[in-house]
Amino acid sequence: MLPALRPPPSAASAVPYTYCSPPRAVPARPKYRAPLEADEPQKEPARWANLMYDRRVVRGNTYARQAVPTCIHHPNAFEIQRRREARRKALARKRAEEQIQLRTPEPVEGREHVHVQTELYLEEISDRIIEVDVECQTDAFLDRPPTPFFVPAKTGRDVATQIEEGELFDFDIEVKPILEVLVGKTIEQALLEVMEEEELAKLLAHQRAYAELRNAELAEVQRLEEQDRRYREEKERCKQQQMEMLQKEKETMEKIAAQAFAKRYLTDLIPSVFNNLHESGFFYDPIERDIETEFLPWLMTEVEETLEKKTLGRVMLDSLIRTVTEKRLDVFSQKPLPDQVEAPAEEHRPTDNAPQVAAETEAADQAVTADEETDQPAAEDQASHHITFQSEEANQEAMEDSETD
Amino acid sequence: MASTLISAKLPPDVDPTKAPIAFGRRALPKLSREIQSPELLTQQRALMALCDLVHDPENVYQAVQIGFLENLKTLLLHHDSTVRQKTTEILYIMAMHNVGRQGLIQNAVIPVLTELLDDPEDICRKNTHQVLDMMAKLPEGAVDILHAGLIPLLVVRLKTESDEIQELILGTLSNCLRMEASEALATDAITILKEKLTHPSATIRNKAAQVILEIGTHPEGKSTVCEEVIPLLVSLLEDTDPEVQASAAGALMFATIKPKVCCTGGEHFLYTSRHSDTWSYSESPVLPSTTSWKPFLWLEAVSHS
Repeated sequence: MLPALRPPPSAASAVPYTYCSPPRAVPARPKYRAPLEADEPQKEPARWANLMYDRRVVRGNTYARQAVPTCIHHPNAFEIQRRREARRKALARKRAEEQIQLRTPEPVEGREHVHVQTELYLEEISDRIIEVDVECQTDAFLDRPPTPFFVPAKTGRDVATQIEEGELFDFDIEVKPILEVLVGKTIEQALLEVMEEEELAKLLAHQRAYAELRNAELAEVQRLEEQDRRYREEKERCKQQQMEMLQKEKETMEKIAAQAFAKRYLTDLIPSVFNNLHESGFFYDPIERDIETEFLPWLMTEVEETLEKKTLGRVMLDSLIRTVTEKRLDVFSQKPLPDQVEAPAEEHRPTDNAPQVAAETEAADQAVTADEETDQPAAEDQASHHITFQSEEANQEAMEDSETD
Repeated sequence: MASTLISAKLPPDVDPTKAPIAFGRRALPKLSREIQSPELLTQQRALMALCDLVHDPENVYQAVQIGFLENLKTLLLHHDSTVRQKTTEILYIMAMHNVGRQGLIQNAVIPVLTELLDDPEDICRKNTHQVLDMMAKLPEGAVDILHAGLIPLLVVRLKTESDEIQELILGTLSNCLRMEASEALATDAITILKEKLTHPSATIRNKAAQVILEIGTHPEGKSTVCEEVIPLLVSLLEDTDPEVQASAAGALMFATIKPKVCCTGGEHFLYTSRHSDTWSYSESPVLPSTTSWKPFLWLEAVSHS
C-alpha cells in the first residue's frame, strides 16, 4: 500500500505533520482481487494474517532503492546479479547505438568535411569564453558616518505629569536593603577584626598552656635526671667502697699470710743466728775468754819456758855429756876405749847437733825439737827429767843467759 | 534606554590616603609595583592599602609568594618615618600568621630589623619589638633571633625603653632564652631582671619572672639564679597578682633542681609557704590546673636536694 498523500500545504497549520492511528491487527488480504463486476467488496469476517507472511511488509535493506520484487520472497542474489548485468548490457548497447548514430559518413575522396554553421545568424565559437572584469571599490578610510538621530515626528498630544511624594517609592522600605548592606559590611569588618584579636588571644593562651606544660615536664625531667645522677653517684660510691673493702681484705689476708710465713721462717733464724754467732765466737764466756786469751797463752809460754828449760837442761846435759865424753874420749883416746862409750858418744853427737841448732833458733823450731825430743825414747826423758829437776834452778840462770844472747 | 553607566564620573574616593586596590588576584602585584615607585605619596598610599589587605591570611600567603618581603626589607630603611612605621606594622600583621612567620624567616628579615631598634620614632620601635616578639614564639624564629645577636641589644634596651616596649622585650627574651642563655648571662641580664622584679607593673614582674624561669632551665643559669635571685622570687610568691606568683613559683622550681648544690633559700621558703596560702592558684585565669602544679613540683625538687 502506498503511503497516504500529504495534505496540501494550503492548510497552513502551525502544528507539524503528525500521523497516528490506534494499533490494529492487519486483516488478511485475499490472494485474488475481487472481480470487477462486484459493486462492493462483501464484508467477510476479518481473518487475521500472519505478519511474517504478509506480502505488504517490506523486508530487507530499506536504504537502497529497491525494485519491487515480483515474488513475495526476496529475490536471490544470483537473480539480482543477472539483472544488473542485463542492465549494464542495455546501457552499453544504448551508448553504442548513439555513437553509431552520431557519426557521419566518411568524406568522399578529394573532399573534406568542414563544420559549418547553418543558422541564420553566425556565431563565433571558440574555446575561450569572453570575459569582462568589472571592479568596484569603496573608499577605504571613511568611517561609517554616525546614524542620524531618529527624531520621530511629533504626533500625539502633550501631556504633563507630576510625581508626588510617596508615589514613586517608599523610602523606609527602599532604604532597608541599603542600610542592611551598609551596616552588615561594617559589622562584618568589625567582626573580622575582633575575631582576629580573639584568635590571637586564643593562640597565645594555647601557647601559654603549652609552655606551662612544657616547663612542668622539663622540671620533672631535670629532677629525674638529678635523681638518676644521684643514684648513679651513690652506686659508684658504694661500689668504690666495696672495692676498697675487698682490697683491704685481700691485703690483710696477704699480710697475715706473710706474717705467718715470716714467723715460721724466722723462728729458725734466731737460733741459727745465735748458733752462727756462737760458732764464730761472738758470744763468749768472759771467763773462758779470759782464760783463753790470757791464761792459756801464759800457760803456753810457761810451758814453753818449761820445755825450753827442759831442752836447755837437756842441752846442758848433752853438752855436759858431750864434754864429758869428749874429755873421756880424749882421755881414753890416748888409750884405746871400748866401743860402747863411742857408740853413745856418736849417738849423742847428732843429738847434740840437734839441740844446738834448736838453742840457736828459739821458738820456731821448738815444736820440731820437741818432736825430736819426744821421738827419743822415753827413758832419756825420764833421766833428763830427773836431771832437769835437779839442775833446774841452775839452768834457769843459764837459760836467761842464753836468752839474753 | 537604560545603560550600565550610572554616572560619567568615577566613584568617589572614600579614603584618599589609600591607593585604590585592583580586583582579585591583581591587587597585590599592583601594590608591589606601586611600592617600588620613586614618588613618596604613591609609596605611602600603597603601604596603607597593603596594611588593610594583609589582615587576610590568603593575602599574606600571596604576598610571600610574589616576593613582597624583599621590597619591604628595602623599605625598612627608608628615610620617611611614615613609610617605616607602616612597613613595620605590615610585618607585624604578617608575623601573626604562620605563613608570614615562615616567610620572614626565609627572607632573613630579622637582621634588618636590628637596624630599627634605634629608630627615633616610638611607633616604629614598638612595631619592631612586636614583630620580634611574634617571631620569638616560633622555635625557628627564636633561633634566628639568637643568631642575629639580638639578645645583648635587647637586654641593654630593657633599661631605657618605655613600659609597653619593655613587656615586649621581656616576652621576646623569655622565648629566646629557652633555647640558650649564655649570651644573656654574659651581658649580665640577671641584674637588670632583678630590678624588674620589683617594678610597679604586674605584667612586667610576671614577664621578668618568666625570663628568669627560662634562664633557670639551663645549668649555667641555675647557679646564677640560685646565688642572686632566690630571695626576690620568694618575696614575689606573696604578690597580689596570681600570675606573678605562678611565674615566681616556676622560676623557683627550676632553680632548685640543681646538681649537687643545695639552695639555702629553698629551705627558707618552705617555712614561709606553710604560713601563706600560696596553694590557691585556682584564681589564675588561664589554667587553674597547671599553675598549681608548679609549687608541687618545686617542693618535690627541693625535698630531693
